[in-house]
Amino acid sequence: MLNTRWLKFAWLNTLRNRRRSAITVTIAALGTSAILVAGGFAIYTYEGLAQSAARTTGHLIVATPAQFSQDEDTPLQHGLDDWAALKAKLLADPAVRSVLPRLEFSGLISNGEKSTVMLAVGISPDDEFAVKGPFLTVNQGDVLAGDERGAVMLGEGLARSLKATPGSSLTLLTSTTEGALNALDVTVKGVVSTGIAELDKRLVYTDVATAQRLIVSQRVSSLGVYLNRMEATPAAQARLKAALPGLEVQTWLDQAMFYRSVKGLYDRIFGALGLIIGVIVLFVVTNAMAMAIIERTREIGTLRALGTLPRQLVASFSLEGMVLGGLGAGLGALVALGVSLALLVFPVEMPPPPGRNTGYPLQIALDLPLYAGTVLAMVVLAMLASALVARRSVNQPVVDALAHV
Amino acid sequence: MTSANTAVLRLQGLHKTYRLGVHIVPALQGVDLDVLPGEMLALTGPSGSGKSTILNLAGLIDQADSGQIHFAGRDVSHLDETAATLLRRDAIGFIFQSFNLVPVMTVADNVDYPLLLAGVAAPERRQRVQAVLHSVGLAEHAAHRPDALSGGQRQRVAIARALVKRPRLVIADEPTASLDSHTAEQVLDLMRERCHAEGAAFLIATHDARAVRRCDRVIALQDGRIVTTEEALPC
Repeated sequence: MLNTRWLKFAWLNTLRNRRRSAITVTIAALGTSAILVAGGFAIYTYEGLAQSAARTTGHLIVATPAQFSQDEDTPLQHGLDDWAALKAKLLADPAVRSVLPRLEFSGLISNGEKSTVMLAVGISPDDEFAVKGPFLTVNQGDVLAGDERGAVMLGEGLARSLKATPGSSLTLLTSTTEGALNALDVTVKGVVSTGIAELDKRLVYTDVATAQRLIVSQRVSSLGVYLNRMEATPAAQARLKAALPGLEVQTWLDQAMFYRSVKGLYDRIFGALGLIIGVIVLFVVTNAMAMAIIERTREIGTLRALGTLPRQLVASFSLEGMVLGGLGAGLGALVALGVSLALLVFPVEMPPPPGRNTGYPLQIALDLPLYAGTVLAMVVLAMLASALVARRSVNQPVVDALAHV
Repeated sequence: MTSANTAVLRLQGLHKTYRLGVHIVPALQGVDLDVLPGEMLALTGPSGSGKSTILNLAGLIDQADSGQIHFAGRDVSHLDETAATLLRRDAIGFIFQSFNLVPVMTVADNVDYPLLLAGVAAPERRQRVQAVLHSVGLAEHAAHRPDALSGGQRQRVAIARALVKRPRLVIADEPTASLDSHTAEQVLDLMRERCHAEGAAFLIATHDARAVRRCDRVIALQDGRIVTTEEALPC
């Protein structure tokens, strides 16, 4: 049934009422571009958040099971012993790029006049800041160096609260693993921003050795495992789980509460938007085809008399829907592509989202599956709408159709 | 003259009624009729006499309440919609009063359409379309759209469309009603010539005395019944 001749007839039929076809194509194009722009924005956001989450925690996090499921009574109660040997074992996996120790603890930080609560992380500075990349902004001073001891980096809000600048002396106060209080004088090396205002009011980075000295332990809380490719995460998780009995291996996604919340919200918002647009396009195509079919009732009767089967006519009208939907979807895809490229050439900065203190560039991801899926959905939707409208008309008695005025 | 073995179309005891609101209107009340190959048969009579109803039943686009229809010896009275459509596609041509050409198709495409439906191979289609357009004198208009043609030319396209599939029967409903006198004469002559050349039977409903004169046989209808049958004098 489908050959170029039928396609040609479909094309010619869409030209019968050019204004009506133009409106239908325009609405399909607007719908398509709206879905692609919104979807592209969502995908860009997901990718950004996923990268941020993975760089913060590592693609995989290795720790004792209790570290993930229970609160600690004393610092590092559920920490990892002999983590250097474990790190070497993890690095032997071909998918693993680097392994970063993390020692998380809380306590007080003081400038001598004012003390405030801190959430501190002991890190391996050189590797840590290398993987953080653009997801950590150094506002003042410099990042920690690998061989530096007794230095800290403060979150922007915390530094402001303590009136601390690079070179300032501060005191860290926390409990040791034995439950005693311990204090350590440190020097501020830099001031950073994670982009999350609430976190920046409490954040302290120091090196693992300094943190261990303060807590009086050789343990770390967990190891962040960074892979060569993000897509390798599930396979690497399965491998490492099997290789490390007694330890728990979680993925960045398990830890990424913010990512999951945003994705859940956006999926619903953009899903509803897509549904609404789909319904609008369905109605517009249905309306256009209904008018076209009513106008051509007598012609339908003629073609039926000449020996055209109803299903052949339904297929023919579906092709008209395909032409209209395909043109609209193609045009819409071009518009969305143009918007995406324009935003690369003329950047637009979005205001900071709630809970954040930095904005982000508005960009639309060019996602091939999204483009292909949307265009295909539009075409199928238009064909379906046409077929549904045509079905009734082509099945009416030939005599009645021929008598239609 | 009539023979069950040679008739292209045989109608036996056809009854048909229409419902108009609460009223039942009898359209055909026991019509018996044979149409022979190569015969040009005119149905005449006043409006409402049953001419169009006979054409609809003979063309298998409507169903009788009772009676039998044989097409080329086969009982087609109770064919389902698909079978009737396929039989129309393969063996019955239609010529309408208002031409009923598809306006977005060229003349050649309009004539080609029945062959396309029948799945005839493209090279053969091209050859047959060219030949039939030549036979109706429209070869040079093959690439034109119907709206670029005169009424007479359009009806000739419709005749070509009806004949291109080499049908056993051609149904023509008032084929000259939309044409001026001179053009009507030309179209009728063409139909008669093609009828005899192709061997297809023509069943024509008409009020036109010129059409009646050109037919081999004339059936007069009144109130859904055949009242007279006349053999026409040779032209």
